[in-house]
Amino acid sequence: MEDYFSFTKELFDPSKTKEKPEVFKGIRVLDLSHVILGPIAARLLAQYGAEVIKIELPFYGDLWRFGVYWGKFWKHSSVCFHFVQYNKYFLSVDLKLPKGKELIYKLAENADVVVENFAAGTAEAWGVGYSQLSKINPKIIYLSCATYGQYGPLRFFPGWDLLAQAASGVISLTGYPGTDKYYKLPDYVGDYLPGNVGALSLVMALYHRKKTGKGQYIDLAQSEALMRTLPNFTYFSITNEELERVGNTDPTMAPSGIFKSHDGKFVALAVATEEQFKALSSAMGRKELAAKYKDGFERLKPENAKELYKIAQEWVSQKDSAEIVNLAKEHGFPVAEVMDDFQIANDEWRRERGSVVVFNDDMYREFVLPGPSAMLSKTPGRTKWLSRPLGYHNRYVLKRLFGLSEEEIKKLEKEKVIGYWDDRPGIKPPVYYDMEKDPVFNYQGDGGGKAHE
Amino acid sequence: MSKGKEKEKVLVRYGIAKREREKFLANMISPEGKPEALDGIVALDVSYANFSGIIAATLLAEFGAEVIKIEPPEGDPSRKITPYGVNVNGVGIPFLMEARNKRYLTLDVRTEDGRRDFRKLVAKADVLIEAFPAGQMDSWEIGYRQLSQTNPGLVYIAITPYGQYTDRAKEFRNLPDSDITSQAASGLAANMGDPKTSPEPYSWPLKAGMWLGWYISGLEAALGGAIALVYKEATGEGQMIDVASADAYASLVGYPVIIGYTWEEARPRIGRHDFTLYPYGFWESKDGIVAIAAPRDHDFRALLKILKLWKIEDDWRFTFDRVPDILEQIEVLYGLIEAETIKYTSSELEMMALKYSLKAARSKWRGGGVPIIMKVQKPSDAMKNPHWNIRKAFQEFDDKTFGKFTIPANFVKMSDSPPRVKWISCDIGKDNDYIHKKYLTD
Repeated sequence: MEDYFSFTKELFDPSKTKEKPEVFKGIRVLDLSHVILGPIAARLLAQYGAEVIKIELPFYGDLWRFGVYWGKFWKHSSVCFHFVQYNKYFLSVDLKLPKGKELIYKLAENADVVVENFAAGTAEAWGVGYSQLSKINPKIIYLSCATYGQYGPLRFFPGWDLLAQAASGVISLTGYPGTDKYYKLPDYVGDYLPGNVGALSLVMALYHRKKTGKGQYIDLAQSEALMRTLPNFTYFSITNEELERVGNTDPTMAPSGIFKSHDGKFVALAVATEEQFKALSSAMGRKELAAKYKDGFERLKPENAKELYKIAQEWVSQKDSAEIVNLAKEHGFPVAEVMDDFQIANDEWRRERGSVVVFNDDMYREFVLPGPSAMLSKTPGRTKWLSRPLGYHNRYVLKRLFGLSEEEIKKLEKEKVIGYWDDRPGIKPPVYYDMEKDPVFNYQGDGGGKAHE
Repeated sequence: MSKGKEKEKVLVRYGIAKREREKFLANMISPEGKPEALDGIVALDVSYANFSGIIAATLLAEFGAEVIKIEPPEGDPSRKITPYGVNVNGVGIPFLMEARNKRYLTLDVRTEDGRRDFRKLVAKADVLIEAFPAGQMDSWEIGYRQLSQTNPGLVYIAITPYGQYTDRAKEFRNLPDSDITSQAASGLAANMGDPKTSPEPYSWPLKAGMWLGWYISGLEAALGGAIALVYKEATGEGQMIDVASADAYASLVGYPVIIGYTWEEARPRIGRHDFTLYPYGFWESKDGIVAIAAPRDHDFRALLKILKLWKIEDDWRFTFDRVPDILEQIEVLYGLIEAETIKYTSSELEMMALKYSLKAARSKWRGGGVPIIMKVQKPSDAMKNPHWNIRKAFQEFDDKTFGKFTIPANFVKMSDSPPRVKWISCDIGKDNDYIHKKYLTD
C-alpha cells in the first residue's frame, strides 16, 4: 500500500486548494461589525467561500484600520486589519442616513447572515437590529456580539477584549505566584477566541436552517465564551479553593514547564500521562522515578510536582535543546521549543503545510499571513484578496447587486450616502497603486474585475 | 401632527419595541424545549490523552450530536490530567467538566476484536475524532483512507502537534500533544512575559494560566467539523480534517505570522503593556487591581478628566503619542495614572467611569468618550456576579457519583437551536449496553 504520508500529502496538497469547492459559496453575509470580535466571525465564513459585504462609515472607516502595532503602517494599511478582513467586499455606506438605511435593507433582503458588535441595543436603535431585519427577511441568521451579551444588568457596560479577560477571570490566572504582577493574554485573543465561537454558532445556525428553513438570533457574550474554557469554576465549586497562579508550569501535568536549555533556548516540556512519564524517566536515565510515581494523581500532588519540576529543570539545563527534542521524539513525551514571531513566519513546516501562506495580492503584492487553523481536505479555507481601502467595492457591489447606474452612484456620492478614503493611512491605497486603472474599483458592470469572482 | 406629539409617538413605539426585545432576549437565555442543530448526527471520539479531541467532541455534543466516547477498558488517560491531582472518584476536574451529553463505550481499537466493532460503529457515524500519532489509525486499517471507502460521508478529524502531512509531521509523529507545548510552539509564550531588562525568570517566555493551546485546537477542530457537516448536508460527501496544535495560537490570532513577516524580527516582550492601545491594561487601586481601557483619544481625555489629570493631556494627546514603542516613556505615563488610581478604591473608580460614560452617552453629540474601569475578577468572583446568573452562564449539578459542582455552560444564546448541557456523566463503559443495542446488533 502507498505510504500514509504520501497519501495525505496528495490529499491536503495546498497547491490544489484553488481547484477545490467552497462550502459557503452563495451565502451572503452583511457585516456591520468593527474591530475584531464581530469581523473575525464574518471573515471565517468568507474564508470558506461566503460573500461578505462589510459596511463602514464613509470617511471614518473601521477603527481597526488604524489598529497597528507600535504605530507602524504597512503600505498605508494595517496588517492586523488585513488578517481580520480578507476576502470581504468593502462597501462604505452611512447607515444613519435614510438612503443609506435603504441600501442596508435592500442588502438584508437577500442576505443569509448579519453580524454586528455595537454596544448592546445600538443596532436596534439605528433600525438595523434583528427585530427590524427579520421582518424584511424572516430566514435571516443574525449574530450580535458584545462583551456582556444583549441581556442582563451589565449589557450596557462597554467592552474590549481586555474587559472580557477581566470579567471572565482570565487575567487573574497568568503570572507568577506571590507577585502582584498580572499579564493579559496578548494579541486580543479575548476577541479572536470568542469570535471563533461566534463563527461556530453561525455555522450551526446555517446547518440548522438548511434542514428546517428557519433563521434565528444569536447573542454572543465574549466573556461567556472565555469562561467556557476555564476549569477554575468547577475546581472552585468542588474544593472551595481558587487555583492560584503558577508561573510557567501547568498544574495538570508533572513535570511541566518552560525551561532554559544548555544552549540558552527556551524549551517547553510536559508529562500528561503515566506512559509519558515512563518515557521521560527512561530518556533521563532515571527509571526509578517511574517506579516511584506509578499513579498519575499521586505524581501531580504539589510536593511531588515540585520535586519533578526541579529534576526536569536540572535535566534540561544540562542538554542542548535539539538533543531534548530528539529524545522526546524517540521516547514519546511532549516537548517544543518556544517559537517567536520571526521563526513562525519563516518556519518551513508551516509554509509547506499551508499554515503560513505567501500570498500575492493584486494591490498589496507579497504578503505573508496564516492559513486556516484546520485543514479541510475537500473544501479548504483560502485567502482570495486582502483588505481594501475604504469604499473600494462601492461600485462593484451596488452595480452588480442592485444594478445601479453610474449616475445613481454619483448621486449617492454627492449626498454622502456612500464615500471613500481621505489622506489618512489605514483607509487609503498604497502610494504606488494607480486606482484609476483598477477594474474592480471602477467597475463598469460589464464583467470586469474577474479577480473577484 | 405637532412635533411634540410625533416625538411622543416615536418614544411610545420605541418603548414597546424595547420591551418586546427584552422579552425576546429573556426567552432566549434558556435553551430548554428548543431543537438541537446536530440532532441525528453521530460522532465518535476515540481521542487518547488529548483534550483537544475531547473538547471538540463536547462542543458537538452541546449542539446536539450523539457523541460516543470510546476508551480502552482502563479509560482514557485524560481522566487523570487534572490540577494537582484533584479528582472526584478517579475523575479529574477537566474531564468532568467536559463530560457533557456523552455516551461512554469501552472498546480497545488497539485489538483486532475492538477494531471489528469499531468499523461497525463508523459505518453509522457522521464524525470521527482521533488524536493518535499520525498514521497510527491507518496502520490499523481504520484510518481515513480505509474508512472513507466504506463510509464516504465520514467527517474524519485528526488532531496532533504537527499534523498529518509534510516531512515534519512524519518525523514528529510519535511526539505526544500537550497544552504547554502547543502554547510554546505556536507563538503565545514568546509574546508573554516581562521585558528583557527584568530579572529572570520574569523576562522569560510565559505560559497563559489556562489551556489556551488545547481549547483553541479543540474549538478549531469543532468549527472545521461543523463546516464539513454543512458540505456533507449538501453533497453527501465527507472529508478529512487535520488540526495541528503546534499552530493553534499563531493561526487563531495571526500576529506572530504577520508581524514576523512585516517587521522581519520577533516582537520583544513588553510585560503588562499592549502594542497598539494605551491606556489598555491594569493599574493598582486602594483595594486591588483594576483593568482600564481608554485607548481612543476621546476615551483618553475622559479618563484624564475623571482622574483629575487634565494637566498632562498636552503631552499624550494622540493615540500615536501613546504607542508604547519606547518602554521607558510609556512607564512614565503608567506611573502618572497609577499615582491617581491608587487614591481610590476599585468600586469608586468604577463608579467614576460609569457616571462619566452615562453623561457622555446622554450628551447630544456623544463625543465625550467612554473610559472603562473594572475590578479584575477572579473566577470565584465571576461565579457570584448576578449578571452571569441571570444569563445562566453557570450550571450546577448535584450528582450521585460526583456530588455538587458547577460548570460554565450555555456559552452562546441562540433563539432557535442553542447549545446546552443535558447531563454530565462519565463512568467508564456506562453506555456499553445502549450502544450495542442501538448500533452493533445486526
